[in-house]
Amino acid sequence: MSKKVSKPGSISRRRLLATAGAALAATPLGAKLVRAQQTPIRIGMSMPQTGGLAGGGKASLLGIEIWRDDVNAKGGLLGGRKIELVVYDDKSSASETPAIYSKLIDVDKVDLLFAPYATVPTAPIMPMVKQRGLLLMGNFSFQVNSKVGHDMWFNNAPWGPADSWATSFLDIGQRAGGKSMALLAADQEFAQNLAKTAREVAAKRNLPMVFDQAYPPNTVEFSSIIRALKAAKPDIVYIASYPPDSAGILRAVNEIGIGDNVKVFGGGMVGLQFGAVMENMGSLLNGVVNYNTWLPEKSMYFEGTKEFFDKYTKRAVEAKIDPLGYYLAPFGYASGQLIAQAINAVGSLEQKALAKYLRENTHKTIVGPIAFSPDGERKETAVLQAQFRGVVDKNMEQFRSSGKQVILFPENLKSGELIAPFEAARK
Amino acid sequence: MTRNSIAFWTGSTVFLVAVFVMTQVVGNQYPFFAGYVILQFIALAVAWSILGGYAGYVNFGTSAFFGVGVYAAVFLVKAFGAPLPLQILAGAAIGALMGFALGLLTLRMQGIFFSIATIALTIIIETTITNWRYVGGAAGIQIQRPAVTAPFDNYVQMLFFVQALLVVLAVAISRYIQNSWIGRGLQALRDDELAAECTGVPTLRLKLLACVISGALMCAVGAPAAMYLQYADPASAFNLNYSVTTLAMSLIGGTAHWSGPIIGAILLGTTQQLLTVTISSEVNVLVLGLMLVLFVVGAPEGIIGLIRKLRGDRKEGEV
Repeated sequence: MSKKVSKPGSISRRRLLATAGAALAATPLGAKLVRAQQTPIRIGMSMPQTGGLAGGGKASLLGIEIWRDDVNAKGGLLGGRKIELVVYDDKSSASETPAIYSKLIDVDKVDLLFAPYATVPTAPIMPMVKQRGLLLMGNFSFQVNSKVGHDMWFNNAPWGPADSWATSFLDIGQRAGGKSMALLAADQEFAQNLAKTAREVAAKRNLPMVFDQAYPPNTVEFSSIIRALKAAKPDIVYIASYPPDSAGILRAVNEIGIGDNVKVFGGGMVGLQFGAVMENMGSLLNGVVNYNTWLPEKSMYFEGTKEFFDKYTKRAVEAKIDPLGYYLAPFGYASGQLIAQAINAVGSLEQKALAKYLRENTHKTIVGPIAFSPDGERKETAVLQAQFRGVVDKNMEQFRSSGKQVILFPENLKSGELIAPFEAARK
Repeated sequence: MTRNSIAFWTGSTVFLVAVFVMTQVVGNQYPFFAGYVILQFIALAVAWSILGGYAGYVNFGTSAFFGVGVYAAVFLVKAFGAPLPLQILAGAAIGALMGFALGLLTLRMQGIFFSIATIALTIIIETTITNWRYVGGAAGIQIQRPAVTAPFDNYVQMLFFVQALLVVLAVAISRYIQNSWIGRGLQALRDDELAAECTGVPTLRLKLLACVISGALMCAVGAPAAMYLQYADPASAFNLNYSVTTLAMSLIGGTAHWSGPIIGAILLGTTQQLLTVTISSEVNVLVLGLMLVLFVVGAPEGIIGLIRKLRGDRKEGEV
């Protein structure tokens, strides 16, 4: 390699830059700029990385990390400040988060706080952030702010108003001619919250509840429950279940059948959003109408969505997490986008101003436009209800193509019509 | 009062004064949050070892007692808006009753069968609470802290001090039991229950007493946790982790002396808190597991046993 020799008397580009840099640094403004470039914007959070919520927590964190890398690759925020994440493992437990968030606030002195994935670890920190007047970006928790009433809380989840979940599912069922409903819910936090709103909505609509049962967590054998449910002859079957039970319920339905009068079946089955579970269940999924947050249908692609999933798919393999990552990861990324837009608009990290901006504007994200209502939840629900169609056994890749989960709700994202009754849709 | 007692009570007073001064001087909240958890585990481990250590009845029901304490407080707050001292007292009373019931039902079983029965107890109570909608049921319940009482200016600082009081109380009781006829009786029945019974030790009555005291303390420790978290859900309150961690702390510290569980709880509790905010991943579970294995292999009598072996100390039962 030839060495570049600069002519005597001339000034090399490197030296010119160095001199200019030194001169800039010497001025007060320059000093401020240099310091600003050095101190990153630190975002603190706990995330379940062990315990029952770890699968979701890791996917969510990867979404946030991809956002961080994207922002940093573009030079950071506030004139060059890089994003740095401070993440601790809360072991999926409510008892760990108060100490962790106190460490983040009082010792690490992070600039901004993100909430951990899910309701249980988030609930104990709500009073704390309210008391300290801190902004908290929520992460898929359900109605944690309804009693606390913190005005600087913003949930990234598409839930919307508490009853919208049941409303959308029952709408689909009633439109298909459903005149009675059955409710089967796990005795766990999320499922019971769903069941409660479903009961309220059904009562408001005078929809007779012909079957209403809760089953203990860790139930594995559902045939007797499904037999009892079938005997009640409901038109709409609303299930609020957790991953292992979702699989157990679908297996029991497959063996016993559910009766010809059932128009729609599903609603709130957790687990049918995760690649591994979906691959495992295969054709048993067909016909089920279930909630989701993001699906690879044409209507779901916004600016940056495709690029995000390209990156996610690559990194998920290395991180050994959900290869599809539809449920949580894009919303982790969207949390970052929300806060970045607020920081850019406000021009500082002042929490009250950021909260005001987030509350008053509609924000563009890779999961669509987001606007918040005063309680920090979405103004309008964007929870999808989608029907599984033409799913075959043992194939993960099929879920990447459109048409496998046809979106029935909300109207503006709809990608097909319901096939009813349930038994016909299963074929 | 013996010289030993004077030293103990002086130490306890100094500890409480230090804790109190800390709540008045330190402004940073994190030491109180983390310290509260460590103190809570000290009290739990000391309470556990009254039955598990002295009597040798391995109780896996710590989480049942702890959870009942949490929910006793939740119920009292929701129904009557009861203040913290009342929550703790009620917790202790319920814990004593529960300990009595558990003792009557299960203490005729020995060894592994007793342990299995205590696990069953946890599951039964957790299921009951899960189906009790008034205290939130499966969905959990958020509760609001009342205003803090002077001289504390922060609720967590007050809880930290209250937990320190509970620690001193638990240790004082445990120490009294060890040095009294109760402790000697419990030790006799641990060595050989049949022989103890034959020599006139009222084994069932002693075991019941140990069960009642241990249960009351564990429930009392659980009660302030409701206010610490301001949230309760059955899965967290009855988490089997409380049982396992408490047991591990007592075993690592050593169960032959009242100070064993304290040492174990400080060591393990501090390590846990540090790992949570340093390594903070699956690795911290591994580190704790390794610690337990190392101690079981290298120091089966716990740290207390190790110290005694190193010092060749023959004066058992004394510091």
